[in-house]
Amino acid sequence: MLGIMLQKMWHKRWMNLSLLLGCILLVATVVSFPLYQNAAYDRMLQDEFRNFISTEGKFPTAICMKTVCMKSNAGSDKSAKTMEKIEKKMKSIPKELGVPSVLQNDFIYLQRAKADSDMNREDGTDIDLCIGGMRDMLSHVNIISGEPFSESGITEDGRIEVILSQECMTGKGLLVGEELTFSSLKLPDGSPVRIVIKGVFKADGDSEYWQMPPSEYREVCFTSMDTFRELFTGENAGRYTLYCNYYQLLDYKSITADQAHEMFTKGTYLQEKGKFRSVLEHMDFLDILEKYEAKIKRISATLTILQIPVLIMLAAFLFMISGQMYEMEKNEISVIKSRGSSRGQIFRLYFYQGIVLTLIGGAFGIPLGTLFSKVLGSVRNFLDFDSNRVLNVSFTGESAYYALGAMLITLLSITIPAIGHSKVSIVKLKQSRNVKKKSWWKKLYLDILLLGISLYGYYSFHKNMGVVSGTVMEGQTLDPLLYISSSLFIIGMGLLFLRVQPYLIKLIYLMGQKLWKPASYISFMESMKQSSKQQLIILFLIMTVSLGMYHSTVARTILDNAINNTTYADATDMILAERWEQMKDENGAYTGKYIEPDYKRFATMDFAKKYTRVYYDEDGYVTEGKTNRQSSDIMGIHTKEFGEMTFVDGNLNDKHYYEYLNELAEVSDGVLVSSNYRDKLGYDIGDTLYLYNGKQVGTACKIVDFFDYFPGYAPTKTTLSPDGTSKTEERFLAVTHYDLTRREYGVYPYQIWIQLKDNVDTEQIYQWIQEHDIRVMKYVNRNDDLEMTMTDPLLQGTNGILTLGFVVTIVLCAVGYLIYWIMSIKERELIFGVLRAGGFHKSEILQMLLVEQLFAGVLAVVAGIGIGWLSSVMFVPIIQLSYASATQILPLTLTMNTTDLIRLFGVIALVMVTCVAVLVSLLFHMNVTKALKLGEE
Amino acid sequence: MEKKMIEGRGIVRAFPVPGGEFTALKGIDVDIPEGCFAILRGRSGSGKTTLMNILCTLDDPTKGQVFVDGEDIHQLKAMERENLRRTKMGFVFQSVSLIPSLNAFQNVEFALRMSGAKINKETNARVEECLKMVGLGARMTHMPSEMSGGEQQRVAIARAFVHRPKIIFADEPTAELDSAMAAKVTETFRMMSKKEGITVLMTTHDVGLMGAADMIIELENGERIG
Repeated sequence: MLGIMLQKMWHKRWMNLSLLLGCILLVATVVSFPLYQNAAYDRMLQDEFRNFISTEGKFPTAICMKTVCMKSNAGSDKSAKTMEKIEKKMKSIPKELGVPSVLQNDFIYLQRAKADSDMNREDGTDIDLCIGGMRDMLSHVNIISGEPFSESGITEDGRIEVILSQECMTGKGLLVGEELTFSSLKLPDGSPVRIVIKGVFKADGDSEYWQMPPSEYREVCFTSMDTFRELFTGENAGRYTLYCNYYQLLDYKSITADQAHEMFTKGTYLQEKGKFRSVLEHMDFLDILEKYEAKIKRISATLTILQIPVLIMLAAFLFMISGQMYEMEKNEISVIKSRGSSRGQIFRLYFYQGIVLTLIGGAFGIPLGTLFSKVLGSVRNFLDFDSNRVLNVSFTGESAYYALGAMLITLLSITIPAIGHSKVSIVKLKQSRNVKKKSWWKKLYLDILLLGISLYGYYSFHKNMGVVSGTVMEGQTLDPLLYISSSLFIIGMGLLFLRVQPYLIKLIYLMGQKLWKPASYISFMESMKQSSKQQLIILFLIMTVSLGMYHSTVARTILDNAINNTTYADATDMILAERWEQMKDENGAYTGKYIEPDYKRFATMDFAKKYTRVYYDEDGYVTEGKTNRQSSDIMGIHTKEFGEMTFVDGNLNDKHYYEYLNELAEVSDGVLVSSNYRDKLGYDIGDTLYLYNGKQVGTACKIVDFFDYFPGYAPTKTTLSPDGTSKTEERFLAVTHYDLTRREYGVYPYQIWIQLKDNVDTEQIYQWIQEHDIRVMKYVNRNDDLEMTMTDPLLQGTNGILTLGFVVTIVLCAVGYLIYWIMSIKERELIFGVLRAGGFHKSEILQMLLVEQLFAGVLAVVAGIGIGWLSSVMFVPIIQLSYASATQILPLTLTMNTTDLIRLFGVIALVMVTCVAVLVSLLFHMNVTKALKLGEE
Repeated sequence: MEKKMIEGRGIVRAFPVPGGEFTALKGIDVDIPEGCFAILRGRSGSGKTTLMNILCTLDDPTKGQVFVDGEDIHQLKAMERENLRRTKMGFVFQSVSLIPSLNAFQNVEFALRMSGAKINKETNARVEECLKMVGLGARMTHMPSEMSGGEQQRVAIARAFVHRPKIIFADEPTAELDSAMAAKVTETFRMMSKKEGITVLMTTHDVGLMGAADMIIELENGERIG
């Protein structure tokens, strides 16, 4: 049996290689999804940690317990036990949370006490100091003067040896070698505590060890931890107040996405319900993990759903090829069957073949899948690879299940049809050829059904759009139907096209019935009769094109909208607001009047191309009738300068943005207001509006026009209330002249809006701010914000998955298309032989193939473009919503990236050209007499 | 004197094989007059098909000359040979060689299309005539998969005749048929050949069919023995 099988496989090596390739690709792709997704989640988590470090400057997974122990009397008291318990707990935390520790540190010190210098000090001022100890301190300091404390820590005459920070030394005016006595602190034997300053230290740069910056220890003199514990915490120690700080730094780099949830749950328990909650400081990693989990929750459904069509395509690919195999071997099977082979034998033959192919497929597919996910790990944006980004991919149990699943599907796709085919003897086979079968999906009207469901999803999205965006904000998962609609739509439309395609070909045929030369004639006939065989490859092409377009549009739209919104919301390159001093009256009380800092300083900003003053009051309001107040932001601008450094896209308002500014410029008491003044408050152009600032000073202005969008203005603002529900409120804005606000409202802190020169370094700006001692109230830097937007881990993770889907689809399409056509030619070798023998020219054969490609390929690509475009327009807003519902200000614009499309169509064109080239070379090298002989076997 | 439709002189065909050369035809002379129904017989491996392939321009002789209708066919370019095949020759093969996506009528009509004929009422009538001659007037719209082997072979004969070629080459057209059907097919050939005045060269190893032939060419080990 094995021999027969191997012989059969060798004989049909073309087919088996195709099946093997399909199997390898399926396993590789299926494995790469979970591998990549897990690794990408891991990296997202690490990115969150790193972002925290760079914005907060703190260690993200530091755990700190602080307690104050009052030692009542010498002997066995509670405080020693408490400390022991905390220390024990601290030690066990890494194990409890499942994360190894990188560093554990304790810092314990006594209450501050007055010390008397043994030297004759002239100033006679008090010296207040704490005595303390920190674990393993000497390996984290450099002694810059004097020497470290000795191992015993105590001099021969019983003085405690201490070292001090430079800040403490200079702050307290102490000297190395100075001896001090704390008369209020007693040693166990009743004598006062005496210390000697042995040296001055400077902390090393280890920020993990120095959880508090070294400058914080201005009043602490450190002795060795062992000495400290022996003297002040032991059983015999006297009455002290001990300030204990315990640190445990967990290795955040080792935390994987799988661990995140458990760590969050356990950490939250420790923080809120644990026995030590009262001494446990707030753990920052809980916030990080919470944020991370919310993000994952938001995208995991989306990511999974974006993968579904790709997986469907993969399965279709295998069934297509195995279908081709059975099509070719149908005769042989029925002959074997008629010669007396049992059904079991035939089934086993294919089963063994399946096992061999599946095992080889798995062996090559799994490493290939790992490679896939590594390559995709370097994705920055859609189809944009950055070789510096490395993704640590490790093979997990989950991906092993995926691999097994993929292998099982391969095995099934190869063996299941054998059950049916093994029933058929040659007689039945010949009879069955006479019966035309309609595809099962046509009978079931699957295409109509899928379209119906997807259109319902589309309809319900549009009906409930407002609710949906709230749901997303609140972190709830959306109805899966919303997401899956796009996939159903693409498949449904693809099937619908398959239903229509034969009629389309027939129509073309009939239109030029008299014109067709023999070659075109035969390809028409072949295409019309073979349409059921070509169904899968056509569906494949349609899905490749439409999914490629859809995925590209999703990725580009998400990114572009994020960029556009940031660009718009930030309004200009940079905004700087300074904290102003208020004037005091003779009693020293604040008058509410401000002192304007020197405006000329801004002229020294050599990074600025232009800058202007903008009055901005978020607490303004207008009155409606006598009682109703409508809060409204008030802006005061210099129209010319303002217009030079801001921009609003022309399509957003009825008029060009500059026209609004010109209108305002012409009326000295004019005001531009948001369109809700007209729609909600009923104002009209020319009406007088009383604008009150936050200090309730009012002024009358004349409305010159209404705008929908103005730099930085968001018509609505959605906020999340503490109870988790979201609220959307309308926002009003009134824009008038800066001079008018200055005249009417007085001197009031203004913002400086700045247009930057090209290639300005953020450091340069910080430096200027520091040099001019600007006390920053508000700082907006558009370049920084854009950088943040583009490197958002959520976005990058999504782009990776989308790129993977895109690449896999294209590879499958290329391989699938080629395999289909090669097999289709091999299958028809005899016919080509007959045609060539009958005098068909090579050019006619070529023409015939081209026409067939046109019907199966080009027509499908055109249909794919249509479907891809339609599905993008209809369904991308749904996907986009789960990424940006809170920050979305501008109306959503779809971005179809031409480069992506060119790449997509380039690859498809290349595939088709390669396909034709391979087929032509196959055909031209075909020996006519041999081909004819083939038919005799 | 009768006009010679096929004239072969000293045809030698050698194939390279590992360690030397195998000579399949060893200097064959052959003359077939116009309108003759000739049978080329011989055992398997005697060189029948090789000779036929050379006579119908699908293969070239290593040595020797072949004239078809007075023309030295091996001097022709590939394109000219193909045109010769589609206008002056018809073919019937051993295995079923109909185009599966075309029905009986369309299969026969396709040979007309290939010969360059414009499809019109006359050509339709001609297709019908040929199908009726082979006894399939009632099955014109049937697909190849709906017909028996003998019926398919008769459609192939109609296809070979329909464009009125000068010669029809038939390579073992009866090999896959039972003897009754083989006799019927052979008779069809003979009848069409006589009726249309077309030269037919048919290979077979079936001795029972020899009686129908005007002329028998017998090969053995690449040499003509009769």
